[in-house]
Amino acid sequence: MTGCKVTSRVRQVNENQCHMCMPLGGVIALRGVEHSVALVHGSQGCSTYMRLANVEHFNEPIDIASSSLNEKQAIFGGEANLRIALDNVIRVYRPKVIGILTSCLAETMGDDVERFVETYRTDREIGEIEIISVSTPSYGGTHTEGFWATTRAVIAHYARPAERHGGINVIVPNISPADIREIKRLLDLMGLEYTLLPDYSLTLDRPFGGRYQKIAPGGTPTAAIARMSGARATIQFGLTCPDTLSPGLFLEERFGVPLINLPLPIGLDGTDLFVGTLKDLSGQPVPDSLMLERGWLCDAMADTHKINAAARPVIYGEPELVYALAKLCLENGSVPAVIAGGTRNSGLAALLQPLLKDALEEPIVLEEADFVTIEDAAVRTSANLAVGHSGGKYLTERQGIPGLRVGYPIHDRVGGQRILSVGYAGTLALLDRFTNTLLEAKYSSYRRQRKEELLNEKGVSDAKA
Amino acid sequence: MTMTDVNVDELLAPMPDKVKKNRRKHIVKKDLSAGSCQQIEANTRTVPGIITQRGCCYAGCKGVVVGPIKDMLTITHGPIGCAYYSWGTRRNKARVDDRTPPEEIYTTMCFSTDMQESDIVFGGEKKLAKMIDEVVEIFHPRAINLCATCPIGLIGDDLGAVAKAAEKRHGIPVIHYNCEGYKGVSQSAGHHIANNQIMERIIGTGTEKVDGKYVLNILGEYNIGGDAWENERLLEEIGYTIGSTLTGDSAYVNIRNMHKAHLNLVQCHRSINYIAEMMETKYGTPWLKVNFIGIDATIDTLREIARCFGDEELIARTELVIERELAAVTPEIERYQKILKGRTAFVFVGGSRSHHYQFLLRNLGMEVMVAGYEFAHRDDYEGREVIPTIKSDADSKNIPELHLEPEPGIYRPPHLHLKMSKEKYDELVASGVLNDYKGMYPDMVNGGIMIDDANHFETEELVEIFKPDLIFTGIKDKYVTHKMGLPSKQMHSYDYSGPYTCFKGAVTFAKDVAHSLSTPAWKMITAPWEQSKTEQR
Ligand code: SF4
Ligand code: SF4
Repeated sequence: MTGCKVTSRVRQVNENQCHMCMPLGGVIALRGVEHSVALVHGSQGCSTYMRLANVEHFNEPIDIASSSLNEKQAIFGGEANLRIALDNVIRVYRPKVIGILTSCLAETMGDDVERFVETYRTDREIGEIEIISVSTPSYGGTHTEGFWATTRAVIAHYARPAERHGGINVIVPNISPADIREIKRLLDLMGLEYTLLPDYSLTLDRPFGGRYQKIAPGGTPTAAIARMSGARATIQFGLTCPDTLSPGLFLEERFGVPLINLPLPIGLDGTDLFVGTLKDLSGQPVPDSLMLERGWLCDAMADTHKINAAARPVIYGEPELVYALAKLCLENGSVPAVIAGGTRNSGLAALLQPLLKDALEEPIVLEEADFVTIEDAAVRTSANLAVGHSGGKYLTERQGIPGLRVGYPIHDRVGGQRILSVGYAGTLALLDRFTNTLLEAKYSSYRRQRKEELLNEKGVSDAKA
Repeated sequence: MTMTDVNVDELLAPMPDKVKKNRRKHIVKKDLSAGSCQQIEANTRTVPGIITQRGCCYAGCKGVVVGPIKDMLTITHGPIGCAYYSWGTRRNKARVDDRTPPEEIYTTMCFSTDMQESDIVFGGEKKLAKMIDEVVEIFHPRAINLCATCPIGLIGDDLGAVAKAAEKRHGIPVIHYNCEGYKGVSQSAGHHIANNQIMERIIGTGTEKVDGKYVLNILGEYNIGGDAWENERLLEEIGYTIGSTLTGDSAYVNIRNMHKAHLNLVQCHRSINYIAEMMETKYGTPWLKVNFIGIDATIDTLREIARCFGDEELIARTELVIERELAAVTPEIERYQKILKGRTAFVFVGGSRSHHYQFLLRNLGMEVMVAGYEFAHRDDYEGREVIPTIKSDADSKNIPELHLEPEPGIYRPPHLHLKMSKEKYDELVASGVLNDYKGMYPDMVNGGIMIDDANHFETEELVEIFKPDLIFTGIKDKYVTHKMGLPSKQMHSYDYSGPYTCFKGAVTFAKDVAHSLSTPAWKMITAPWEQSKTEQR
């Protein structure tokens, strides 16, 4: 293999892992469906832990119901508890949609949730309320896969053959609410009619004001989801999404909606690909205001290239973001030292191949990596910047590699929900943070370095001795 | 509405009848005219679908009790999530000391067998055994903990057998905890399981001499934000030696000698009372319920500890330290009282803090109107005297109770631990100081509400009724509170502040609370051009 070394996991130990569990991703995706509540079928610890993880990242209330299985149900099956849970969720939350995600326990027990739901529907008068169940055993995948699987299940639940219409579908991976808002702004600027799923830009980043509502306003309306099958095309930021989980592929195969799979619009090239696609789809020219934004980004890239060229970043996290970040780094002359994803089956290494074939240095590419492996690789390659979520804090704490927080989860800084990195403007914001982190590191060690150099050059230390 | 008018039934009105009936029993209003505490239902199953704050048995065992033991390497056997979520979430600090060098500290690391589909189908014992071999090879830990998660019990992996075989291979203790998440009804089950194993496998196995005239253990202190260090500083200054804490900043090498101590102090009753009781039975070590949260509470606690030993010199030194600390903090406390006086609060935390913090808040001039525990038992509300009347149900029955006997040759009657005569000891016990906990009820304000396992819905209703100034709770509720326009303070991790214990801690706490309440932001929420509208309304 040219261009990069790929290492898959060989150790038994998963020490300081880089990924989380499947239903967690499902919870986020469900937040992007209007008026929905997530219910994790399992013991309550899972949903409590998932609430914790999400609250810390989004700094927002996160309600996740649980069927609260105990020892008895673990042995005899969880149907009765699931039914009570559904009753109570409906009564207290009055949702339009309930998404049931299975925990490892429920999956190991072999509960047939689909059937439970069917029986529940037939003997309870729940009217318009939709119940969508998704199988999300964590031993089958990470939160990344959970996010895709749930998004796909939501579409599959609503999609019926629909009349063709001029709108397009936009399917996003696990990105920040701020990123979703920026993507919507670009779509609006290009004058396209679209349905974006899952749209948690408001539900997971609620502005202050008004009476507190148990279910946050916002989310993709279910009527719009039902029409996705009649769209002109689907844009999916899902190069790393496995085919079996791909929502866009489902729409293409089942309803003939052409799928345009794009990388996340991060970086100049990434955003160009997206904007170019929108231009083709809309037949509209790119507005001047957007060209200005592009110009500002180019200007910054030109101005900072010397600083950025000195970066040897270690990039880690969810594969879709990691791929886009690697692209961003490369176009700014920062050759990654390490590129690591926590999942497998994403095809990340193969995707990176063409990008890396001309790179000056050979990055280490890791799949299914834990942080000990990542740290080890980062040290070996003298990485000087850690780009990714909060899990990488040990790279800074233990190895002194300065960190740039982006991705999910962010729990040691505020504003995880507001981190903006897509589009020309978003990229510029990210790039400035990137460059400034390098500069800060440089200035903080500059004096000491200079002093040491001086001492040695002029022989001051020798003279003293 | 005055506090005593609050009608609990109205609060629950929108709930389905069955839920209402269930939840009604978990809520008790303090009524001085009624005399003793009305029975509260606690430690029973959460209603499915009602969004609870509770966690699982694994969280109580690994996350709370065994995770913080700094020199033990803890492996979570299960799928990835459980381990990930319990990684570094509790801020129990640990530091290097003369017996534990940095390379022996594992508390900031997270180890998981990351089970995959094939492990679930074919069993995960081999993977676990291999993982133990690997960590031993890489880290050479002094001892290892193995914690089970939900799927483990179902697929039937025998953790005990894996542990035993690994002990043989490596010659170090490998202690397993069958703390599958579905056991019991909350974290509480996990505390108990952890207590049992620590008691059986660690305490009493040490043979080193523990020097010190008065050796204390501090049980149920998890060193959030450095709390334990502040306690230790004071106690050591008075002349005590700290044998070990359980389990904040604790080390295996110290825990195994805990039976050498003269007195056990119990801070968090819920999570650790089992060990206190079992040590009393097995070694004769008396225990004292303490509270280092709050200035008056700390003073009372320090005086009571000194009284337990009845040593005049100790008593005198205690007074000296109290006087000095008090003098140092009083002016600052008075300053914050000006901001905090008359403010009201809710406290919803685990199984002890909701009681402890009432003392500190009272010192600051604040009153707690509603207090609740997530996973407490009846005795934490009503006092230990109700323990004999608590019926065990299916959920509590499946957690083994250890039936211990006095350990021949090591057991010493409690009065000898305290170096006093049997008569004097009996007097002390009769005065109600030792080996007892009276619960939260006696310290609630009249008309105040105790609520067990409160959910989001109830919290919101209670906020409407009482309109408190501040809510002390966990992070899961924090942002709901903020969205309601109320400040909240996180009491599990202290919002990255602390320590809050003893005298200096009280000042830090007062400062944090004052900051929350005096932030101008709360007043600026309404836009100036909308202000007149609200006023008109
Ligand atoms: S699977 Fe079980 S042990 Fe793991 S977090 Fe969920 S409830 Fe707890
Ligand atoms: S049991 Fe599975 S679903 Fe639950 S927390 Fe653990 S990994 Fe996640």
